[in-house]
Amino acid sequence: MGEVMTAQGRTLPGEDAADLREIGFRLLDFSELALRVEDELGDELNFDAPGLRRIATVGDVLDFIEQLQSA
Amino acid sequence: MTARRRTTALIGDDNTVVVAGKRLTWRTLHKLPQLPSPAAVLVDNGADALAALRHHAVHGTELLVATRSRVDERMRDELGESGFAIVLPDGEVTPARLKRVDESGRAWLLTSGSTGRPKRIGHTLESLTTVTGDQPPRTWLLPYSPGTYAWWQIVTLSLTQADQGLVVIEPNELEDWPAIAAEHGVTAASGTPTFWRQAIYRDADTLGAVPLEQITLGGEPVDQAILDHLREVFPKARISWIYASSEVGASIVVHDGKAGFPRDWLVRKPDLDRPILSIEGDELVIRSPHHGAGLVGAVHTGDRIEYAGDRVLITGRLDTDEINVGGSKVSAGVVRNVLMGHPGVSWARVFARKAPLVGRMVAAEVVPNKALGPITNADLVQWCSSRLPDYGVPRRITFLDKIPQKETLKSDV
Repeated sequence: MGEVMTAQGRTLPGEDAADLREIGFRLLDFSELALRVEDELGDELNFDAPGLRRIATVGDVLDFIEQLQSA
Repeated sequence: MTARRRTTALIGDDNTVVVAGKRLTWRTLHKLPQLPSPAAVLVDNGADALAALRHHAVHGTELLVATRSRVDERMRDELGESGFAIVLPDGEVTPARLKRVDESGRAWLLTSGSTGRPKRIGHTLESLTTVTGDQPPRTWLLPYSPGTYAWWQIVTLSLTQADQGLVVIEPNELEDWPAIAAEHGVTAASGTPTFWRQAIYRDADTLGAVPLEQITLGGEPVDQAILDHLREVFPKARISWIYASSEVGASIVVHDGKAGFPRDWLVRKPDLDRPILSIEGDELVIRSPHHGAGLVGAVHTGDRIEYAGDRVLITGRLDTDEINVGGSKVSAGVVRNVLMGHPGVSWARVFARKAPLVGRMVAAEVVPNKALGPITNADLVQWCSSRLPDYGVPRRITFLDKIPQKETLKSDV
């Protein structure tokens, strides 16, 4: 997540509770993060697996990605 | 079999032709045995291709010439069923499966296959000879794969015009062509932007030693950055770009050193000798006097355009150029032009990558210009962010060591 933010000239705050809207982490950033994870894994992520939920904070994103990886 | 002698004047028959380091002329090239007609002559080298072409020009036989590697077994079968005898590089002939009357003077070209499998387009030496009138004496580089439209353009120019020599570059010589060109005094060269970019990237000094007076680009979208780089290396040369294809012939020729063509060319008065250009939606449409057989009338080129001030830019193929990022559309060609405008980038390819949540994202492959120091993903993202909407900024950038190139001198951009 930090790399995505850095590439956009922004900084990822340290707290998991940081609000995504406030730090400017948008849909495109989320998609890029997913692509980076796919590149690391060498496999496509299955976004249907974890089910829909509200993703509002940095912690939500990290939990979601973790779930995707283990799905 | 046809043995009628054509009246097309082989004015260039005594022009110099350099093949594999040997200095010959069209007239003194080795002769092929009498070819069947129609024949598909598959070659492994440029000399055999030129010999086949001269045979066609002298005898009027129906000819398709191509490199052996471009014509797979399936296409050979299709050609056999369409009446072509297949002539292999060692002279072995597979007779046609269909017997038919030949079309005297017919030359067949294979399209580059950028839209799928290569297609056959019918021409004649006359329809392929788009350069007429007195030309300044030149020695032309011939780097193109035999049988492509660009190859036919150069060889017909040399065979039908005085003082237009040729220096043939075989595939195994492509990396060293500037040294060969300098040795043989090449003054004119035509190649794809990929071809030129590779030459600059490999060794701009050796390239600069070629006494080029005429530089031509074609076969791929031509961006401003490559035109500017060539201008730096060759400040006095005429730099032209050509929009040409097997289907519509050479239809747009631009000499002003700028990418794209003037917008007012879309409203020029009709002239029988000049192609009529128009736009439908985002697509370039051409009515050309140089068209292939059966392609009279408006040809939808499948190429996408974009207006930029008083210019019309050709950005790429319609089916691959538009990238839809979560409902916002961006042209891969436009993104590529922005990347290529970065001084640290030698080459770039931009494409759509399947992505969660937004469907597609813009991704890129880049070859950095090592002479200008390292560049990072973040450098390029920042460069693009200040020039493109956020959905157009490439999110995944892969760095490659060298510029990929196909036999057609294109790089799938």
